[in-house]
Formats: sequence, C-alpha cells, structure tokens
Amino acid sequence: MTGHRTPVRGVALFMTRRLSGTLLLLVVISFLVFCLLYLEPGDIARNLLGTRQVTPQTLAEVRAQYHLEDPLPLQYWTWLTNAMHGDFGISVRTQDPVAHMITSRLGLTIEMVVISFVLAMVGGIPAGVWAAVRRNQVLDRAVVGSSVVFISAPAFALGLLLLYVFAQALGWFPVYGTGVGTFDRLWHLALPSLTLALGLGAFIVKITRAAVIHELEQDYVVFARARGLAARQTLALAMRNAAIPVLTSLGLAVAYLFGSTILVEATFSLPGLGSLLEDSVLFKDIPTVQALTLLVAAVIAVTALLVDLTYLLFDPRLRTQLVSR
Amino acid sequence: MSLSDAFGRPMSRRTLLQGAAGGSTLVAMTALLNACGGGQEPTSGATSTPSASQGKDTGAVLDEVTVGLPGSLSNLYPGVESGILNYYVAALTMEGLLSVDSAGKLQPALARKWTAKDPKTYVFSIRKDAKFTDGSPVKVSDILYSIKMARDAKVSPSSASYWGAVSSVRQTGPWEITFRLSAPNVSFDWVPTVADALWVAPEAFWKKHHGRIGTSSAMLIGSGPYKVTSFSPDSQAVFERTDTWWDGPPKVKKFTLQFISDENARLLARKSGDIDVALNVPLDQVDEWKGLADTQVISVPDRSWAGLMFNYTLPPFNDIHVRKAVAHSIDRQAIVDKLLHGLGQVATAMSTPEQFGGVYTPTEATKKLAAVPQYDFDMDKAKQELAQSSVPNGFSFDLTYPNTGPQLGKAALSLAQNLKSIGITMNVKEQSIEQWLSALNDAKAPVRYMWYFSTTGDPAELADYLLNSNPPNPVKYSNPKVSGLLDQAKGELDPHQRADQVIQAQVVAGADLPYLSLWWGQSSTAFARSIGVRNYTSFTLLSPWSDSLYSAT
Repeated sequence: MTGHRTPVRGVALFMTRRLSGTLLLLVVISFLVFCLLYLEPGDIARNLLGTRQVTPQTLAEVRAQYHLEDPLPLQYWTWLTNAMHGDFGISVRTQDPVAHMITSRLGLTIEMVVISFVLAMVGGIPAGVWAAVRRNQVLDRAVVGSSVVFISAPAFALGLLLLYVFAQALGWFPVYGTGVGTFDRLWHLALPSLTLALGLGAFIVKITRAAVIHELEQDYVVFARARGLAARQTLALAMRNAAIPVLTSLGLAVAYLFGSTILVEATFSLPGLGSLLEDSVLFKDIPTVQALTLLVAAVIAVTALLVDLTYLLFDPRLRTQLVSR
Repeated sequence: MSLSDAFGRPMSRRTLLQGAAGGSTLVAMTALLNACGGGQEPTSGATSTPSASQGKDTGAVLDEVTVGLPGSLSNLYPGVESGILNYYVAALTMEGLLSVDSAGKLQPALARKWTAKDPKTYVFSIRKDAKFTDGSPVKVSDILYSIKMARDAKVSPSSASYWGAVSSVRQTGPWEITFRLSAPNVSFDWVPTVADALWVAPEAFWKKHHGRIGTSSAMLIGSGPYKVTSFSPDSQAVFERTDTWWDGPPKVKKFTLQFISDENARLLARKSGDIDVALNVPLDQVDEWKGLADTQVISVPDRSWAGLMFNYTLPPFNDIHVRKAVAHSIDRQAIVDKLLHGLGQVATAMSTPEQFGGVYTPTEATKKLAAVPQYDFDMDKAKQELAQSSVPNGFSFDLTYPNTGPQLGKAALSLAQNLKSIGITMNVKEQSIEQWLSALNDAKAPVRYMWYFSTTGDPAELADYLLNSNPPNPVKYSNPKVSGLLDQAKGELDPHQRADQVIQAQVVAGADLPYLSLWWGQSSTAFARSIGVRNYTSFTLLSPWSDSLYSAT
C-alpha cells in the first residue's frame, strides 16, 4: 500500500475506471444491438423495394451496397472501424448522414426530456416528502393512490387522454406539431412533457416517500426530536440522508425518459429521437439504430457516473472509502 | 410504384413500409384500402368530378392549404423512399418527361411531345422554356443525368428496376432524347413520369450531393410549380409557389404538409381547423371524418388490388382442387360490404377498372373483366372440390398479413372460419410490415397475401408482374399462352387490342387459379368545405395537383 491518496487523485482514478468500463460497455452494447438487428426478421433490401417487381440485378446491387451478403462479424467490423473514425454512416432509410439526422432531432428530445425531468422533480420530490410527513393520513393515501395510477398508465394512453381533454375539449394546447419560437415551442411541448413527467413524477414520489419515511424512523431523528430541534430542522436532517436513494433513482429516471419518449413522440407526432429510433428499428436501419443506442447508452452511463459523483458530496463515508482504497 | 402503405407511409415505407406504391407499389402502412364490388359500379363517393356537395369556385387565390398526411416522410425523393405519399409530395415540385392527368392519360411535361417509332424506340422532344425552381434552365443534360440517377440502384433503389428494359438513352438532337428498349414495351412512356420512375433535378445538384437528394440537407429542386422551402423529416414540409413553372402559376400560394402519424391526432387537427385536407383517411374512421363540421370526404378507387397468391408448385396448393376449395370458401361480397364498409369492389381480375383510360370507362372495363373465371362463395362446392383433391381429409397452413392492413387480417379470419367447416385449418398471423415484406418471396409459404397499389394507368402493370413467367413470378406460375398474350401486349400499338390481350391473359390464367382476386380498394380524402376539388381521381395526386384545388363558397 502506498498510503492514503489525496481526494482529487482518488476521484480521478475512480473516474478513469468508470469511463474505461463505460467504453467497454458501449462496445459490448453495440455488438449486441448489431446482432439483434441482424437477427430481427425483415430484409433491408425488401424494405427499400417494397412489394414491387424487382430485377435480380437491382436486388443484388442493393444488397451489395449495404454489405448484406457479408458474414455478421465482417459487417460488424466494417461498422465498428468506421464508427471509431467518427463515421456513423448514411441512413439506409433516408440516405441522410446519421450524424445529421441525430443532431437535427436531438434538440427537440432534449427539450422535452429536460422539461419533463424538471417537472417531475419539482412536483415529485415535495409531494413525496409531504406524503411521508403525513404518513397514513388521507392526503398521503391520495398522493400514493395517484402515483400508482400514473406509474401504471401507459404513456401513450395518458398522452391521448391529455390530448382529448386539453387539446380537443378545452382547446388550450395544440394537437400536434413542434411550434416556432421559444414560447410556441414550449406551448407545443407542454402536453408531451407533462405526459412524460406524470409517469416519472409518480415514480419519484414513491421513492422519495419511502426514503423519507425510512429516515424519519431512524434513531438520530428520535434523538434530534428529543433534543428539542424544530420539526423543520429534523426534517432537514432526514432529507439529506433520504437524498441518496432519490439520487440513485435519477439514473433510472433518465433511462425511463428515453424509453417513454418513443411512445410519447409517436402519440404527439413529434419528430424526435424516439420516433427516429422506432422507425429505424422497424426498417432495420442498422447505422441509425447503432448510433442512437450508443448515444442513449452513453447518456445513461454518464448520468450514472454523475450520480455516483454526487453521492460523494452527500455521503462523507463514501469519500473516505474512495480515498483509502 | 411504390410500395407503401395504403396510407402511403413509407412504408414507409414507412415503402412500403411506410407506405406503399410504382410502376407498382405497394402497400402498406396503416390502412387504407378499400375496394369495389364485384361487377358493381364504384360507390357514390367514387367520383371523377366534383361532388354535388362541393361549393362553387370563388375564383380567389388560396393563400395556404395545410395538408395532414397520415405517415411521416423521411426523404422526399421517391427513388429512395417510395411510399405513395412520397409520390404525391414530389409531384408538387418535380417533373418527368410526361405527366398524367386526372383521367389517367399521359400529358406533356418536360417533353412537349413524344412518339413511339416502334414498340422499342421512343423519341421525346424536350421543351425549351422549362426552368428549375432555382431559376436555372432545364437542359437536356440535366434530364439525361437524372435518368442515369434513376437507373442507378444505389441512388434510386426504388425506381431502378423500372428502367431494366432500356438498352440505351441518348440525346439525338439539340432538344431530343431517344430511348431504345431491349424488348418491346408499349407502356414504356409511363416510366419517365413522376408517377413512375423519373424525377428531373439539375445535374449539378445531383453531383453536389453525390446522388443523395430529398433529404433535409439536400431539399428537392425540380421544375414544377412549387419549391421546397423547408423540410423537417417526420414533421413537416413547406412548398411555396414559384414563377418559374412553364405552365404558369397555380392557384394555391403555399402548401404546408404536416406529417401526423397518429390518426386520432390527425382527426383532432381537422376538428380544430389546423389542417384543411387529410389524405388517406383510415377505413375505420371514414364515418367519423364525415361527421366533422365543414368537412367532406371523397372516396375514389385507388387502383389497389388485394388477393391471395397460391404457391403453384408446392403441395397441396399445386392441386387445382385445393385452390378451388379455398376460392369457394371466401365470401368476397360480404368482405367488401361489411369489413370495407362498402368502400371497395369485389375484384374479378388484377387489372383495376381505372387502368383502361382512353380505351374503356371503368364501367366498361368492369364488364370486360367479369369475363375472368370467378369462384363464387359456395361452401358445398368447396367441400366437393376438397373431396376430389389430394388432401380430401383436410390440412393446415399459415397465412400472414401486414399490421398496416387490418382489413386483410379480418378477411383472413373470415376465410379461416369457413375453411374450418370443411376440415382445413388456416392459422392467421399478423406480422410487422417489414417482416411481412421480407417473406413476400418466401418460396416455402403455401399462401401469401398481396396488397398492391398501381401507380400507372397501365392495365398490364400488375398482371404482367404476377402472371408472366419471364421473369419468374412470385408463385412460379407458368402458362405459355398467358405469357405469350402478355408479351404480345407489350408490343401491341393498338390500345384496344392491347387491353383485350391483357384481359384475355387474365381470363386464361383465371382457369388455372394461381391467384385469387379479392377486392379493388378505394382511398378516402377529407377536404374542408372551403376547398373544392375538380376531377378528383386516384391519378389526381400524381399530377401537379394544386391545379385541381380551388377556393369554394
């Protein structure tokens, strides 16, 4: 042993290990996704050509263009070597460079995900704390009951319900489109973001409530109360410790948002990454699906890393552990 | 020619996939088919003239028309994404050598006139006054390069096959292009149209983008009446009128095309007045659309054909008695009446009645096509046929249908129920459109569905594909007499003679029953009452269709 490391060096080593692991994970994911697409029923050439009468020569040219006759390992290697040089290829479906397709849609999805995330946090955490403090009271049960409903409701069904109520019946929001300009964009994204936020917020409510209840039952809270600390001060103590499981769930929240956005974008006819992924998977558009899944995996991995780093801020025991390892 | 869904989604294909249609096209996405009734006239909605309920033309210019499309478009160049919606959209800005009018007749476009010196030699005289929407003149070299791109399977996978018969294409005069074919084909003049396989763009534009046009970073440049001013894939496209079109400015200043993939959202969009026109209204929602205020729905035959393909060489369907047993077991009239809500017609043949333009009216063609042998719904006959077959005790097999055609699934279930009563078990399975397409050429499948949208007005389009044995057809059916008649039709210059040869080929093949025609479909389009439409047929949207719209009282 070389003795204790400095906190900075410890964190740097921790990040290096995590980033190396993430890189390896991305390669594994890319291979698995490639294999799944390869095995997926369907034929790219036929998807391009449809039911039309096609000459064998045309079919052969199309298959050769996309290396469809190559064995799987060779196809993957071709993709990997190009990707390592930053070339994610051309979309089979649209003939647009994959990078351009993704960047042109990224903004919309990020906006929707960020708005949903903020709404879910701003609504879910206070509601969870509030329910925990009033455990087993009528309002707690109302909050918990609502959470179960929103967690259970499929995003597309919730989206349709909101569309009918707020767009059609009340006419407060548009039924489709992305809007032009900041305010118009927010107006158009309100319902889809709310759809995403309701499901995620309900999840956050349940996690927060359970964590706060757990902490409120700990001895240190009893001691704090015995020492005569005000209820607000006691709750603040419990909140800091309850934050860790809530933070842990944020990584899951990001994964949830990217998963649900596929259905929500379809319901609201929004041209974001979710609908792009859906169309590309159905078409067996391998270059696009590969790039998208890697992007999503990387975002989730980085989020998980950031969450872990945040732990260090909240839990001194982890800092000590990290530095002494 | 493309395939896509009935809705034209690209089939997408979206292609069929996302949609569906080409010299053929296909089918696809969510649904839409409709069909007609055996021997019946098109339904009242099927009209080629303005409906009586449409208002009069105010003569005013329409500032903007917003059209809700039922699927998303990822690429505006039909050579890449060939859903029927891609064809409709491209027709606003692109031109071929010829165009098609609402009656299905070919008309001049970039070519002023054309002649077939013989069934293997076509000469087109190019107009000198055409300009692209960027203001540059259309040169013969632009057209030749666009043809080269359309023939290149790597650039235009969806259209390349249609140029297979061309042995050479050359400039034979300052403003003249001559095609020579390797085999006679009197319907070749359909190929260089935007309804089939040619979309002319500037040569420099093609080269600048390495052949990858129609994307948001290489928006189409054509010689039509509109220029693309914005395109967000899967979201919307905006077309604005130009003053460069050789035929003068159209009456609609601007088209905004909204891609609304969710049908409920599209219905709400019309309800709130956000869209003026909705193409390919789903079959199951037609009544709802008709109930909307200030909205009219027009249904017209769409030249689609739905039918069963029997594997002609694989037991037990290589037995004519088995094929007849199945044919007698399906109640096609009930399917049209109940499942298609009357929006269709029982198909007696592969050629649709609307594809005999200039020779027969749809009514006359329907009567002529009735000569093809039919197999009426009769379970007693079905039982007798099975008893005479190689499998008198019955058998089982699978039939798959695409998820974009729910009516195909319902029709299959109806057939399965009837077959069960005579001892045949038919397992009906839904597949994604992509999966279904990939199995289209499955040589081991006993029976397959075909759902095909013709884009041309050539009555031989589908018949030649499915019945001619050279090249091999999907069911490996081979009858020298049938192939001979179809080959003869390719070289027949007299349109009446040709039409009769195409019908006769189907009459002869009908006795062999390699395919069972089920229905000819219809498509429904919703219009705000403030927008009138003239001569609306299944060809209208394949022409510069803005000229058909007007401001109505």
